[in-house]
Amino acid sequence: MSLTRPSAILRPVPAVDARRSSWLRAAACGPAVLLPLRLTAIALLLRPTGEWFVRPAILGIAAVMLVWPRALRLPILWLAIALLLGVRIAADWPLADNHIYLLGYWTLAVALALTSASAAGTLAASSRALLALAFAFAVLWKALLAPDFVDGRFFRVTLLTDPRFGDAAMLVGGLTPEQLAADRQALAPLPEGAVMLDPPAVIEPPRFRAFARVATWGVLLIEGLVALAMLLPSTTVVVAARHVSVLAFCLVSYAFAPVAGFGWLLLVMGAAQIRTSGSGLRLLYLVAFLTVLFYAEVPWAALLLDALG
Amino acid sequence: MPVRVLAPAALLTMVAVAQIALSRHADLTPWKGGGFGMFSTLDHGAFRGVSVIVDGPERSETLEIPPSLEVLAARAANAPDQWLLRRLADGVAAREARYGRPVTRVTVHVWKTSFARDTLHATEHRLRTFVRESHPSVRDPSSGPGR
Repeated sequence: MSLTRPSAILRPVPAVDARRSSWLRAAACGPAVLLPLRLTAIALLLRPTGEWFVRPAILGIAAVMLVWPRALRLPILWLAIALLLGVRIAADWPLADNHIYLLGYWTLAVALALTSASAAGTLAASSRALLALAFAFAVLWKALLAPDFVDGRFFRVTLLTDPRFGDAAMLVGGLTPEQLAADRQALAPLPEGAVMLDPPAVIEPPRFRAFARVATWGVLLIEGLVALAMLLPSTTVVVAARHVSVLAFCLVSYAFAPVAGFGWLLLVMGAAQIRTSGSGLRLLYLVAFLTVLFYAEVPWAALLLDALG
Repeated sequence: MPVRVLAPAALLTMVAVAQIALSRHADLTPWKGGGFGMFSTLDHGAFRGVSVIVDGPERSETLEIPPSLEVLAARAANAPDQWLLRRLADGVAAREARYGRPVTRVTVHVWKTSFARDTLHATEHRLRTFVRESHPSVRDPSSGPGR
């Protein structure tokens, strides 16, 4: 050590090094953090996203995280995934689905939480803020901005025209395959200015209209409840309401909505808010995660329709 | 609220507010762009479309969107902004040039379908039109200005 220069210990460099190294240092985490992180890595592998220039890197990092536990706790890897997702969103803007954006914010939140003194607390707070905002914007669109949600048109048309909802329209809405086919034909658009003298009527049995109505108001109600529960200050009742509403939303919505990736992400973010040491609630989230997987991979509505004849 | 919590939340808010603005003023579909408007409206990709009309010496035809331009067409349908419409028109002109078919004009229409409140009867409405004029040069298809 030179006597003519200040000691390296006295220089501010170590502070900078310490800050930099926090991104490269595996954070100390308990089950409150590890479960959501593992489930996020699994979700990334189950639904690969992006083109060739981002997908292999995201899949590779997620795979490494699952086989090498230390990697799961490295903030730099989560930051890398967040940046790759940002590239994926920008590359073919605006085609990325909303859950890719949310996944980007979430992985950024994980990276930042793992550099903090309390990873579990920071991650729980981030999860709550992101869920509150995502659901608040979803409710804003459905209740106020969209012209055709509250009046029921969205679900009436979607259940009839989107092939992914066809089984549900028949199973729950009581339509026959012939009625569904006729409705799809009746809903074919006319060119601008054209008018049919005798347009075919869209067949909507009362049970179908009731299904569309329940879907409209049920979705709005449960999304509003999630947003409200996340926004309200934490009390025992509110914390319970957060978990109940997130679990209920995912278990009901993703039985029909064909976006398992979104469901998994919401469940991961809900699981990140578990602050108790007991494993019961974590197990519940894990079961819900697997249930959404079941919904996505098993054509349960079609099988049920077949079974009912 | 700590910065580590605030940063992702602030990013989400900024993107979502920008998405609402783009949706209101630039016809971005509410389903896309990070504003969480999915499953809220029938104004989405399945009910939007792009048609391309190509004019050249002694021809005027509606072009089927080729697979190589499908992503560009989907982007233009979901966000019919000038730069995306121009990129699609340039792509069409370049493709025509590759096949040795001179082009003087590429017209891109973006339309969406609306459904009547009671009867649900569907009607198409034109959202945007972009015209790319160019000289009938096969070698330099992207030299013409768009408007």
